[in-house]
Amino acid sequence: MTNVYAMILQTDTQAATSGNPPVWQHMSDALFQSLYRVLTLFIAVLPGILAFFVALGLFTAIGMAISALLRRLLKVTKFDDRLFHERGADWTPSSSPTELVARASFWACVLLGLIIGVSAFDASYATAAVLPMSLLPYLTQAIGAILLLFFGNLVARFLARSVLIGAVNAQLQYARFLSLGVKWLVLVLAAAMALDHLQIGGRIVELAFSILFGGIVLTLALAVGLGSRGLVSRSLESHVERTAERPVASSTETVAAPVEPLRHF
Amino acid sequence: MAAANPIPDVNSASERKTAALLVVAGVMDPEQLEQLAAVVAEGVGEQDVLIAAPDMPPVESIHGIRLVAAAASTPSWILTASDFVNASQLAADHEARGVLLLGQGAWGLRPEVIRAMAEAVLVNQTDLAVPWYDLPPRSGLMNSAILYPMTRALFASGVRFPLAVDLGMSERMVQQLAIVGQRYAASNQPETILWPTHEAVIAGCKTTEVEVGTRELPQPAQSDVNAILTQIAGSLFADIEAKAAHWQRSRPIPPPIQRATTYAVSEPVDVTPMVEQFRSAYSNLQEIWSLVLPPQSLLGLKRLSIVDAAAFRMPDSLWVRIVYDFVVAYRLRTINRGHLLGALIPLYLAWVASHINLTASGEDAETHVEAVASAFEVDKPYLVSRWRWPDRFNP
Repeated sequence: MTNVYAMILQTDTQAATSGNPPVWQHMSDALFQSLYRVLTLFIAVLPGILAFFVALGLFTAIGMAISALLRRLLKVTKFDDRLFHERGADWTPSSSPTELVARASFWACVLLGLIIGVSAFDASYATAAVLPMSLLPYLTQAIGAILLLFFGNLVARFLARSVLIGAVNAQLQYARFLSLGVKWLVLVLAAAMALDHLQIGGRIVELAFSILFGGIVLTLALAVGLGSRGLVSRSLESHVERTAERPVASSTETVAAPVEPLRHF
Repeated sequence: MAAANPIPDVNSASERKTAALLVVAGVMDPEQLEQLAAVVAEGVGEQDVLIAAPDMPPVESIHGIRLVAAAASTPSWILTASDFVNASQLAADHEARGVLLLGQGAWGLRPEVIRAMAEAVLVNQTDLAVPWYDLPPRSGLMNSAILYPMTRALFASGVRFPLAVDLGMSERMVQQLAIVGQRYAASNQPETILWPTHEAVIAGCKTTEVEVGTRELPQPAQSDVNAILTQIAGSLFADIEAKAAHWQRSRPIPPPIQRATTYAVSEPVDVTPMVEQFRSAYSNLQEIWSLVLPPQSLLGLKRLSIVDAAAFRMPDSLWVRIVYDFVVAYRLRTINRGHLLGALIPLYLAWVASHINLTASGEDAETHVEAVASAFEVDKPYLVSRWRWPDRFNP
C-alpha cells in the first residue's frame, strides 16, 4: 500500500513538473463536457417543450370556444328535445346530449392539441438527440396507458355498480363482495394492459396478471357458489314440493285454500 | 241480452266494408276469436262492427260480425306504440268513428263492458274510455304504488288504471296516439309503451272510466318484479320528463270515486322475504341511494331497516318523497338510468310489504291506495321545486 501511494505521488510530481494536467482537471473536464451535452440537449428540446405547451394551451382554448359555441347552438335549436322525440326514451348516459356533444368537442380539441404537441416535441427531440434518453420515446405510449387506465376505471365502476344492484335484487348474500371482485378484476385487467402497452415487465406482468386474474375468478366462483347455495336448495325444494303436491291435491278432500299470489301489474 | 244498440244502423255498411266501430284484438286462436265475436255481437250487435286481428281464419264473418286482417305485430302483454299506429291505420281504412283496442284475454270480457265502451266513444262523445278493473287486493300493485298516484297528482286524472290493456277511443284520440306512436315506430322502437291517459289530458280530450269488473290481466313472459318495474317505471318517468311543461301547472284534481270490490281479504302473505331484501339493499345500496335521496329520506329508511317484518310500515310521505326524488334523479341522470331503476326495486318491495301488512291488519286496500294518492297530491310542490331548481338541494 505504501508503495502505491509513493508511485501516485511520484507520477503527480512528475506531471506537475512536466506541465501535464492533473487528475482533477481531467475530472472537471469530463464533468463540464457532460454538463455541456445535457444543456445542449435541453436547449435543443426546449422549443419542442414550448411547442408542446403552446399547442396544448391553444387547442384547449379553441376547444373551450367550440364547446361553448356548440352548447349555445344546440340549446337554441332544442337538440335535446328533438333527439328525445326521435329516439324516444332510450337515452341512458348521465348527461344530456347537448352536454355530451359539448364535452366531446372540448376533449377532442384537447386531445388534438396533445397529439400535435407531442409530435412537435418528438420532432425537435429527434433532430437534436445527442444522448439516448430511454424514457422520452415512452411519452406517447404513456398517454395511451393513462387513457387505458382511465377507461378501465370507468368500466370497472359501471360494472361494479351493475353487479351490486343485480346481486341485491337477486337476493345474493355476497352482493358487495361480488361487486368488489368484479371491480378489481377489471382494474387489474386495465393495469396489466397499461403495463403491456408501456412494454414494462414483459412476461412477469403476464404471469402476475394470470395469477391475480385466476385468483379473483376462483374467489368469486367460490363466493357465488357458497352464496347461492341456499337459493339453489330453495329452488330444488320448491320444485320437489310442487311435484309432490299434485297427486295429494287430487286424492284428499281438504285442500288448503291457495294463498293469493302477488301480481305487480 | 236486451239492450239498446249504441251504434246507428247504416244499411250500406256491410257492402263497403266500413264500420262505425272497429274492434282491434291481439293475437288469439280461432276459438278465442269466436268467443270474442260472440261477446261483441251480444254487446253491440252485428251491424256496423268490424273485428280486426292478426292471423284471421279464412272466413268473412263470425256470429254475423265481419272480420278484417290486422297487421301482424309482436305479441305483447301491454299496448305498445305499434298497436296504436296499426289501429289508427285500420280505423282510417274502414272509416271507423270509434275503436276498441283490446288486450290479451279480451274474449273473457262481458258484453256489457263492450257496449259501455262503445257507447262512451260513439254516443257520449268521449275521446277515451278507460276500464276500471276489479282486481284482487294483491294485484296491480305497481299501479297502486306508482302509476295511479303519479298520474293523479301530476296529470290531474282520476283514471284508476292509467295503463289499461283495453281502451275505447274516438277517431280523434286514436289519431292523436298514432302520431305519438309513429315517432317511436319511425325510430325503430315500436314496442315502446304509450300513456294514453297522459296524452288525452294534454290534448284536452274527454276521458271516462268504464267498470269492467273482474278481469285476468295479461302478465309479461318474465313476471319478475325487476323486469316489470324497470320497463313500466322507466317508461312512466320518461313520459313525465317529456311532459314536464304540462304537469308543472296546477290543475284541479277530481275527487276519487269509491267503488265496491268483489274480493274479500284473502290469506295473509309472508312479507319477510321482501323486508329482508329491503334490509340487504339498505346495507349494500346506501352509496347509490345517497346520490338520489335526501338525508331525511335516508334517515326514514334507516328507521325502517330495523323494524320487525310483522310491524313493517312505510309512511306514505316517505314513499312519496322516494318516488319524487327518483323521478328527479331520472331527469338529471344522476346515475345511469338502469342502475337508478334497479335501486328503486327494493324500496318498491318495501312499500308492497307495508301495503300487505296494512291490509292484513284490516285496513281496506283501496283506502290505503287513495291515501297514498292523496299524499302524492299534497307533496307535488316538492317535485315541482326540485324539478325547477335541482341545484338548490344536492343530496
